[in-house]
Amino acid sequence: MTATILHNLDLFIFLILLLCGYIVGSLSERRHYRSIEARERALLRLAVVTAEGRFDPYQVKDAFLVNGSVVISTDYFKRLLAILRNIFGGRVKAYESLVDRARREAILRMKEQARAGGAQMIVNLRLETATIGRSANRKKQVGSVEAMAYGTAVVIERQ
Amino acid sequence: MKFTPRLPRENVNVSSTHPLAELLWLTGGLVLIALSGYLLLGLLVDWAAESVPVRAENWLGAKAAEQFPAQPSPALQHRLDLLLDRLPVASPLHDYSFRVSLQETPEVNAFALPGGRIVVFSGLLEQVESENELAMVLAHELGHYAHRDHLRRLGRGFGVTVAAMLLLGKDSFITDFVSQTFLTFEAGYSRTQETAADDYGLKLLVARYGHAGGAVDLFRRMTDRSQAGIAALFASHPHPDDRIAALERVILNNGYPVEEPETLEDENWEE
Repeated sequence: MTATILHNLDLFIFLILLLCGYIVGSLSERRHYRSIEARERALLRLAVVTAEGRFDPYQVKDAFLVNGSVVISTDYFKRLLAILRNIFGGRVKAYESLVDRARREAILRMKEQARAGGAQMIVNLRLETATIGRSANRKKQVGSVEAMAYGTAVVIERQ
Repeated sequence: MKFTPRLPRENVNVSSTHPLAELLWLTGGLVLIALSGYLLLGLLVDWAAESVPVRAENWLGAKAAEQFPAQPSPALQHRLDLLLDRLPVASPLHDYSFRVSLQETPEVNAFALPGGRIVVFSGLLEQVESENELAMVLAHELGHYAHRDHLRRLGRGFGVTVAAMLLLGKDSFITDFVSQTFLTFEAGYSRTQETAADDYGLKLLVARYGHAGGAVDLFRRMTDRSQAGIAALFASHPHPDDRIAALERVILNNGYPVEEPETLEDENWEE
């Protein structure tokens, strides 16, 4: 038994990483989603729009740039699914949740920053994504995705 | 327009498929492809074994012989030649120039390598007690050549390893794994191939000596003794009991006479 393991050490390490990737990855993903949903509910009343927004000068007390950025890593399990998808084609479902979490987390961080500055809304929201590590999808490399959200936070003059 | 803050009812950006279900589908598809490739390779090998020219076989045989540090043995060669003289005129084995060599290994076994190179292990010679038994062993190996089993066997394991090497490179641990698994799995002949070779060997033995004496003696001795060296033969051949039963059935059905085998002279096998 030990001899078999030692002989196929690479294979065993791969399987262990795969198992770890799956268990830890799905646990942390579930926890992250719970946190995202709770914070989204809490920040629901802070409006974010992609529209430019036109205000009369006397309506705006303050306006400033807010941005939120987050980097989320894939795990071994997701990477394997994506590699297999590369063979068969089709939607890379494993990465969908990854990008979804990154986008929503980035927007949330941006909103938290806006609320800390006393803003009531954010206009002109923009989203950017980038891969971290150029060899993100290459052999023996686990890549990460960065999502960045930025917009203009507006503090409205109270009358 | 009034702005009403609310959360979306469902997330359209994330598919609801369970990741494990997806893994199962994808690996299932991959396994299916690999399996059909393996089957296809098997068919290809069967076809190649039938149609590969002896010249190409000789080249393969030279490659295979490098793995066996065997010395030519004139004493064995002489016995093989006597058998070859008894081959039917139309036998395809006339295209080969058979060479038999001896390897110092306690293992009880003999090999039919491509290109007519037969390797006999010294462990086998220690077990053999009569001329007829030895002739049966050699004739059995000739049977493998007649049915082209020696190529079939080499082909599949070879093919799978080569395919893995081409796809993944020869340094990949998967190639290592594949070659280990398939080359050892495929190293033996199938039960049917062994039985057919036994059948062929028996006919040649009868042609050589005029009777079937000594045909089953070696197998019988193997069932009686349980020695470490013999276990190796069990691993790659069907159980001796089955072979004895099959051989005796053929002897009975064809009405071959069974006489006393000739005693094997103690010879200098090496030179």
